[in-house]
Order: sequence, then C-alpha cells, then structure tokens
Amino acid sequence: MATPIIMPKQGQSVESCIITKWNKKVGDSVSVGDVLFSYETDKASFEEESKVEGKMLAIFFDEGDDVECLTNVCVIGQEGEDFSVYAPNSEAEKEPPAEVKEAVAEEVKPATIEIQPVSQDGGIKISPRARNLAEKSGVDIKQIAPTGPMGRIIERDVQGAIAEGKLVTVGAKEQYSKSSFAVSGTGIGGRVTTADLSSPQAQSVLASTSQYDEVKLSNIRKLIAKSMHASLSNSAQLTLNSSFDAGDILSFRKKLKENAEAAGNINITITDIIVWAVSRALMKHREFNAHFMGDTMRLFNTANVGIACDTPRGLMVPTLFGADRLSLAEISNSSKALTGACREGTISPDLLTGGTFTVTNLGTLGVESFTPVLNPPQTGILGVCALTERTKNGVPYSAMGLSLTFDHRAVDGAPAARFLQEVVHILENFSITLALTGGIF
Amino acid sequence: MPKSQFINPNEVRKSGFVKFKDIPVNRYNKSIQDEKKNFTDADFVRIYRDMAIIREFEAMLLAIKTAGEYNGIKYNNPGPAHLSLGQEASAVGQAYLLDRNDYIFGSHRSHGEILAKGLSCIEKMGDAELQSVMENYMGGAVLKAVENGRKSVKETAVDFLVYGALAEIFARKTGFNKGLGGSMHAFFTDFGIYPNNAIVGGSATIAMGSALFKRVNKKGGVVVSNIGDGSMGCGPVWEALNMASMDQFTQLWEEGYRGGLPIIFNFFNNFYGMGGQTVGETMAYNILARVGAGVNPDQMHAERVDGNNPLAVIDAMRRKLEIIKNNKGPVLLDTIVYRMTGHSPSDSGSYRTKEELDAWAEHDVLKLYSANLLEAKVTDRAKIEELNAYAKELITKTLKLSIDDSVSPRMDLVKNPSEIEGLMFSNLKIEKTEDSAPEVLIPMEENPRVIQIKNKIRYAFEENGKPVSKNKVYQLRDGLFEAIIDKFYKDPTLVAYGEDNRDWGGAFAVYRGLTESLPYHRFFNTPISEAAIVGSAVGYAMSGGRVIAELMYCDFIGRAGDEVFNQLSKWQAMSAGVIKMPVVLRVSIGSKYGAQHSQDWTSMIAHIPGLKCVFPATPYDAKGLMNSALAGSDPVVFFESQRIYDVGEQFHKGGVPEGYYEVPIGEPDVKIEGSDVTILTIGATLYKAVEAAQILKEKYGISAEVIDARSIVPFNYEKVIESVKKTGKIVLASDACDRGSYIKDIAAAVSELAFDWLDAPPVCVGARNWITPAYEFDADFFPQVDWIIDAIHQRIMPIAGHTPKSNFTDVEKMRRNKYGV
Repeated sequence: MATPIIMPKQGQSVESCIITKWNKKVGDSVSVGDVLFSYETDKASFEEESKVEGKMLAIFFDEGDDVECLTNVCVIGQEGEDFSVYAPNSEAEKEPPAEVKEAVAEEVKPATIEIQPVSQDGGIKISPRARNLAEKSGVDIKQIAPTGPMGRIIERDVQGAIAEGKLVTVGAKEQYSKSSFAVSGTGIGGRVTTADLSSPQAQSVLASTSQYDEVKLSNIRKLIAKSMHASLSNSAQLTLNSSFDAGDILSFRKKLKENAEAAGNINITITDIIVWAVSRALMKHREFNAHFMGDTMRLFNTANVGIACDTPRGLMVPTLFGADRLSLAEISNSSKALTGACREGTISPDLLTGGTFTVTNLGTLGVESFTPVLNPPQTGILGVCALTERTKNGVPYSAMGLSLTFDHRAVDGAPAARFLQEVVHILENFSITLALTGGIF
Repeated sequence: MPKSQFINPNEVRKSGFVKFKDIPVNRYNKSIQDEKKNFTDADFVRIYRDMAIIREFEAMLLAIKTAGEYNGIKYNNPGPAHLSLGQEASAVGQAYLLDRNDYIFGSHRSHGEILAKGLSCIEKMGDAELQSVMENYMGGAVLKAVENGRKSVKETAVDFLVYGALAEIFARKTGFNKGLGGSMHAFFTDFGIYPNNAIVGGSATIAMGSALFKRVNKKGGVVVSNIGDGSMGCGPVWEALNMASMDQFTQLWEEGYRGGLPIIFNFFNNFYGMGGQTVGETMAYNILARVGAGVNPDQMHAERVDGNNPLAVIDAMRRKLEIIKNNKGPVLLDTIVYRMTGHSPSDSGSYRTKEELDAWAEHDVLKLYSANLLEAKVTDRAKIEELNAYAKELITKTLKLSIDDSVSPRMDLVKNPSEIEGLMFSNLKIEKTEDSAPEVLIPMEENPRVIQIKNKIRYAFEENGKPVSKNKVYQLRDGLFEAIIDKFYKDPTLVAYGEDNRDWGGAFAVYRGLTESLPYHRFFNTPISEAAIVGSAVGYAMSGGRVIAELMYCDFIGRAGDEVFNQLSKWQAMSAGVIKMPVVLRVSIGSKYGAQHSQDWTSMIAHIPGLKCVFPATPYDAKGLMNSALAGSDPVVFFESQRIYDVGEQFHKGGVPEGYYEVPIGEPDVKIEGSDVTILTIGATLYKAVEAAQILKEKYGISAEVIDARSIVPFNYEKVIESVKKTGKIVLASDACDRGSYIKDIAAAVSELAFDWLDAPPVCVGARNWITPAYEFDADFFPQVDWIIDAIHQRIMPIAGHTPKSNFTDVEKMRRNKYGV
C-alpha cells in the first residue's frame, strides 16, 4: 500500500517549509532511514528520513517550493500503485513554465524599481476601476505608487503612470505579469515589449553576468535582515564598553584542564563562564532579564539566555532556558548541544524563541569592542570581546572587553553601568563565587 | 382650537356630577309569535338556512384542519383557520338588515360574517344586478368556476359566494382576492364585505375611516366594525371610538355633514381573547357595553345583545340603524357569543373546562333557534333536516371545486413571476376620484395664501446672484401648499386631517390659508391619535376617497406602527388589486427637538413592501412630487424636513413654475454636475453635500457631482450608476442613523451594479447611532460638511493638504459596530 509523506510541522509557529533538496527522484528505491529530502524553515533546516520501504512513486513539489506543513509532498509504495488520491488538490498542477522561471529569478531586483506596491499578503491592492484602466491602457501596475487609502492603487495612480509611460504591450503582458520585477520599456509610448523581456539588457539583469554575482538570499538571511533592521529602528539602543581582569577565569580553566580526568573531561568555555556569571547577575538586575512591552515591563523569574551562534546559514540565537538555575557544567553541556544543533540546522524552532537576555561572543575572532544589536523586546545584550594585555599599577594582566547594549527606553545609563559592574565583579572573583554557590556541578 | 368655542372658567369649574343612563343588557324578550309582524315564515326559515350554511362551512374547515378529511374528501390546508362555530346566529342576525351599501369590516374570525353578509345581499339584490357583479368580478374568473346553466341566478350567487370565500382560504387564484388575502383577510367589496383583519382590533380605525368617507361624501349606509372583546385592550380601538365621536361632528361641521359618524362598533364578545379570559382575567369592564358610557354623552347608545338568538340581534340592529340614520352615531354593541372550538385548530383548550363547553352546547344556536321555530310551528322537522342536508351538499360540492386544481389553480409564480409583483402598486393616474364639483368656500384666487405667494420670488437668487431674503422667497412649504390646494379644487373627495391642521395651519405652516378655502368636513383637526389618523385614512381611501393624513413628527410613526406597516402598505396587494390606496401620509422630520422629535425613519418605511416613499429637499421637487403623489393611486409616505421648510429653489433654473407639473416618483436628480466624485443624499442632507462640493472644488480642485435621491421607493438607479461610471467614487449621506440606513441599501446596490467602475467602495455617512442629542450637539451627531470630505479623504481618495477631523478608519468602524454604537 502506498504511503504519502507529509511535510512535517516543526514547532508550533511553523506554517510552511521550503524543500531545499530532493535526495530521491521518482522511480528510485527507498529504504527505511534513507534521506528523502531536506527542507528548511526560516530558522532551521532538517532532513526527512524514510520510515517505509519501496519505490518513490510521485513527488508533488520542486526544490525551492514553499510547502504548507502537513501537506503531502511525495508518495512511496510499490511499482504501479495508484497515488493520485494523495496529490494535494490545488498544488499538484502548479508547474510554472520552466524557461520563464529560469530567466526570471525571483529575487533579482534591478535598481530601476521605485515602488513595490505589494501588500503583506503578496497581492497588489488595486480598485476595480484602476485595474480596468490599467488593463485597457496597458499600464504596468507593478510600477505604480499607490496613493489610495490603505495602500490601494486608485484610478489617479494609473492615470499618473500612463502619463509617465509605464506601459506594457499586450503580447508582453502575460509573461511580464508573472514576474515581479520591472523592466524599462522600448515599445510605443515606453511600453515593455516581449523583446524587452528577452533583450540582452534584460537578460543581463536577470541572469547575472561577469560584473557581479546575484546570490539569492536564504530565508534565514531575510529574517535576520528584517529583525536587525526592526531592532535598530524600533528601539533606543546604546552600548557601554568595559573590561575585566580575566586572570581568575583563565587560571580556573587552566586548573580544570590540569585536573581534566578528575573533572570528568569537562570542557568549560569562556562563553559558558560568562553565561553563568550573567545569569546570576540578571537575577539581581531584573530590568535586564525583561521584555520591554511599550506600556509595561515584563520581568522574568528565570533567566532564559540567548546564545548568539555563527552558523553556515547565518546568525542563530538558541535559548538556554532557566540558566540561573543551571550549574556551570549544565550550562556548558546544554549550550554545546544547542549551538551544535544550530550549526547542523536541526534545532527545533521552539528553542529559537523565548530568550530574556542575549550573550554574543566575537572575542574568539579578535574583536576588541563592538556594538551588539538588541533582540527586542529584550532590554539588553552582552557582547564578549577578545583578551588584551594591559597593565594595572605597572603589573601586566589579561583584560577581556565587555560591550553591553541596552534599550534606553527601558533602562537608564547608571543602572546599566551597575549591571555591567556586577558582571565584572562576578567574573573577577569567579572561583570563589563558584565555590560559594555550589561548584561546577 | 376654533375661536368660536369659549372655554368658560365659570362653567368648567362648576361643581356637579356626571350622570349616566342605564345600559341595557340582553333586554330582548320577544317570542316568535311577537316577531311574526316583522318576519314571514320564509324569512324565519331563511335565517336558519344561513346559519346552517355557516355551521357546515366551519365544521368542514375544522374537519379538514384536524382530520384532513371532510365527507370522504381528503385535503391538507396548511393555512390558518380561526373558526366561528357557535357564533352563527350573531353573524346572520347582524347581516339580516344590511345591504350592499352597508359595509362590514371584520377580524381574523370572520368567515361567518362574510357568508351571512353575502347571503343577505344576494337575497336583496335583483338578478340583473347580481349577474353583473359576478360577471365583472376578476373578469368572471370566480363565476366561471361555479357557473352551471341549470341554476337560478340567486342559486349561482350562493355558490359563487361560498366558493369565492373557500377558494380564497385555500389560496386559489379563483378566490375573492386571488388567494392573496387568505382565511383571515378574505373579503368581497361588491357585497359590502370589506377587509377582515388579522391584527386584533385592526378594523376599528379603518372602519371609522370608511364611515368618515360615507359622511363626507354623502354615501349613505352604515359601516360595521366587527371586532372581538379582546380588541378592547388595543389602544387604536379606543382611538377609533373617540375619533368617531368627536364633538366637532355635531358642533362645528356644516349642515348636511353634521352628526356622529355612521358606524357601529360591534364587539363579538365570546369572552376570550385567544385564551385570555376578558372578564375576570385580562379586562376590567365586567360588561363590555359599559365602555360606551366613557366615550361620549350618548354613551355610544351601547347595549349588550344576546348573540345566541338571531332575532335579538336583528332587533338590536333595527334600532341602531335608526340611530345611525338620524346622524346620532356612533354605536357600540356588545354582542355576546360563544366559540365552541378553539381559537385555532392548534388550541389545546387548556383555559376552559368541559363543564363550560357542555353548558354552552345546551345553548347551541342552531338547536335553540330550530326548537323555537318548531315550537311556533313556523316550519317542521323535515324542513330543518332538508336545510341541514342542503348545507352539507353545498359545502361538499364547493370543497370539491375549491381543491380541484383544474378549476381552482393557484398563482403560478414560475410561469408568471411578476404576478404578485404587479399587484404591489396600482400605479394609476387619477386626476380626481369622483366627478362632482369639489366643495370649497371661496374661489382659489381669493385665498389669502395664494395671493401672498403671488408676490413671492420663485427662485432663490436675484439676477446678480445675491440670495433673495427669506420673507420674499418662495419657500419649500409654499411648494407643498400650491400642490395641495390645487388638488382640493380638483378632487371632490380629497380630505386632509391631522393634529392642528385647521386654524393653526399645521405645526409648520404648510397648511396656512387652507382653512379659509375649505369646509370642516374636508379639512379638520383630529385628536392626538396617530393610529386613528392613519387607520382612518386607510379606510377612507379603500372606500373610494383620497386623503392627506399628517403625522406632525416622523417619530410619531411609532404610534401608528400597525396602521402604517400592516394596513396602509398591504391592502392593495392583499385585495389582488380590488382596493386602491390613494393616501399621502405627510411626516415631518424634526430639528432642534431632541431624541423623540428629530428622527429620520425613511429606512423603516422603505423596508415595508407596498409603500412609496419620497423625501424632497427643494421647493421645485416638493411641489412636483406632491402633485405626483396626489395624482396617483398608491400610498405615499411623504417625508419633509423642518430644517428646510423655508429654503428657496436654488437648483431649478427659472424657479418653481406657477402652473401644474409633476416630478415623477422614483427618479433621483442631479443637482450639481461634476466629474471626480459622486455625493448622493437623501432629504435635507443635500445642502451639506452642496457645501462640501463647493469646498472640494474651491480648496482642492475636486469636481463633485451631487445627486438628490428625492424618492426612496421606488428608486431608479440609472442616473446614479451613470454618475458612478463617470466618477468611480461615491459617498452617500443622510440624516438617518447610520445603522440600517437606506443609504446602505443604495451603497450595496451600487457596489453590485457598478463594481467594475468603482475606484473605492461606496462610503456611507449617516448620523451616529445614538439618541439625537440637544440641538447644540447637532454637529456631533448629524452628518456635517467636513464628515463628507473626511470620508472621501480616508476611504476613497486621500486629498492632498486635507486634515481630517472625524474618524472613518476601519478600526473605528469595527469598534462602533462591536459596541453597537
């Protein structure tokens, strides 16, 4: 009996996933455990292994397709079995002409585009009257700036576009309408013609030539772009820089290595120590273990520390829940598991949300000071910088930089400095503090 | 409030007593022997025959309703059947002396009255007259079903009557009203059987209006309003009793028209209003006849009559008709009867005992009367049996005919989808309802208001564009007056009445000057009785006259709810076109008078099928639409606004014509031409739109087209759609509260009819869904000029440089609806 394979739902908030790669094609034999396809959400990627044996009978989606979760994506069974009942009804026939699709890479956006009248749900809002006028006059509605209420293109906008000559010929319309970019027209009255669409200029715009490479942004890149920009434009963030004498933590790590066997070969990283210290300090400075909600501050009872993590897909920030209640060893083990999952792209999306404060470490890459970007609605993020040699009263020591970015809407400068001071104090007196609070385990 | 009547403090403050005369209760005590001088033996027997026919008719319906079968004939009748089994003697007794020119109006329980009145008319009418009535009714359709060469005309007429009523009950096209009236509304005006009414007491005001018609137009005859004891709890019934007795009939009306109205308010008192026991439970009169004593000094000549004895009822009718003939009406009769079956077949009888039913069975009217006849040897047992058999045969054959689809088809709304549609309005042009010369007091050109208007300037602006002063300009109220006085000099049956119409000239001076031209019987003041004002207009018009009834404020429609919504609107269609309803109901929308005197209820009127509805906003349209309304045959609810009675004509070039012209009902009018946005208004809101159009043009360079709806029902969309095709944008404004306003209906229709041309959804600007606050808050409540511009800016086309003050956003719209405000 044929078995349909569905697009799994990875976490509560995930509605659809993109198929990134098919490892099997129709007709291939499939054994239990074979990877059928890889897919990704906007936050992580996954592989779907087969739980059944047989032949790949049908594949309903292409690589790059965004597939609603729980929709059938392929069918495995015995040769000759009927699989038509499993075809997703509307999606099955969605096979755009390959050539046009090739030529018109979706994300390529020539600099000539002025306006994107694309609403959040992806459609263009346009009144029936304006649409009719655009149809009749061959005006290119993609190039029209809407001035109607709620972003709607209304008649006067089309009239304006006609005056500016943003027109398309009837022949070019169908092909052009499937694209989402604008091409400057050479036809009568500046109409975009089919020739314009296949002209060397257009093709060069479309199919990146020697001057530069157009690289399609991954979903995660788009998400990072959006959230970083939102962070900077929607909050009042500023950064305080400080440093601490890293002598104690360095000697602690050294001693731990020397007693590796006794300590169960545990590998405590600088980041683990910082997360431990920060999670303790947060409990005394709750305005940093908080979300700024506009009218209220949401002060959390546990420190859920986000740990920024560089992955081949870009920046990811898994959350270490309840860090203040975890021992140093638990923090170390858990954060290794989290960052590992991120690098492999197997992290559950549910572990990528819920942070109350974030730690980011660029010190390993030699950065001496930087401006971390807040992850709203969190009120703070601590950047960990590289070790530098300094002297105090003529005595040389290893100093490590800390950069605290905070949201001035939520917290003022002095309390921020005091929080930073607290973190510095814990780190400079790390061994004794650790001993007094129960040790490594 | 005539000056001739002096309210003398010395008189009204004098000490004394109100004295009542004794009210007769069941005083009839004659024997058959005594009555032999009034009746032949054949008369006595015919009375029994008529009672037997009614008994069998109702028994048949009871069997059909409860057992689905009568005399072996199966039939399912899903409609209502409120039977009068047990009440036959009273119906036959009442009808015995009445002829075609005497009108009866009934209730939901009036099958017996229809048959009794019809049988009485047939007895009195000559063959030729009968034949002509039957042949002409509905083109002979009813006659065709029962015609059979072997019968006499009178025999055919009896078949015709019983069949016409039964086919009507069974919703057949060959019924008296093509099946559109049904059991509770069947009637046949050619026999003087006027509409029966499914609204309890509904006939009281209508019958009173019919009596008014008879008095004003000297038609002779009497009107009987047959209603039940339960209806004595209805306000409109009391209004009718009082209005029929108004002092002015005897004290102010001219010779020849003087005297109380020729009407008998007959209460068929069966002691139950549905199941509510009127004596002992729901009413207070103890003996219903008592009520007459509270209405007028004649105590309405009220008495209780034993409706179980047909001779007692005939005796009472004979005496009361004499009173009516002497212009001493109205009369109140408390005719006691007993309904042997339930209120309707679904009545489980939970409110009365078997003992009570058994006791009344002993007083069964057929049993008692036949026993009397036998005892007096007027007839014999065999004759009684023969009559019973005749009744059964008559009903059996009529039932067979009525349910035979080949003889008695129903309307076929699939084949003829417009069959009911075509009966909603009669759409006739009737310059005058009768040919006689209208009674007036002076020639029209001598009327002081006519003379005054001659000197007025009929356009709002002088040649240099300056506005003409209020005192000199021909106002909207002058337009109404000109149309109305013109019709008074043309149509002899036209009457106008309402509160403070005569002398005062109407609360808003539309009628000023009419008093000088018209005698009382054509133009008079009514009590504060809105239900009776509208209900009587319905009765006056259905009897053949034309009326202008006035409700001083639109808000008072609430007081005449049934009369406007159920009576004025429905009788043309429910009569299948037999009845015409040339009534203009003037209602004035208040201003400055707060929550109960400022509402625009056009939307409510528009919702009710069968009413035409207009709302002119200019003098030209006011005169033209009033002329149309007064030349038609349909009920027109004529809205006016107190904001604009004094406006001059600003749009119709050349001003308001002096002569007669009509503005067709149903045609909106483009008041200002424009190209960028359409503004459609209803009523006085026109002037806000005009101002908005000026601002849009002068400040923002936007050309607005302003359309005045003028009419609401009917409404021709052609001009509106044409305009929207041009502009692509429409905002609709009205002073009615926004929720459920008629402009929403127009907006929805425009969305459907002009979707492809629309550049934005149609936007409605109505008054807030609040009580109307004090005048000082008008600008917060009613649509304002800037609301109209804001609505365009926020929902249709943002206007560069405009800063909105009001809130037409989605969020606000959702919020207001969420909270019902």
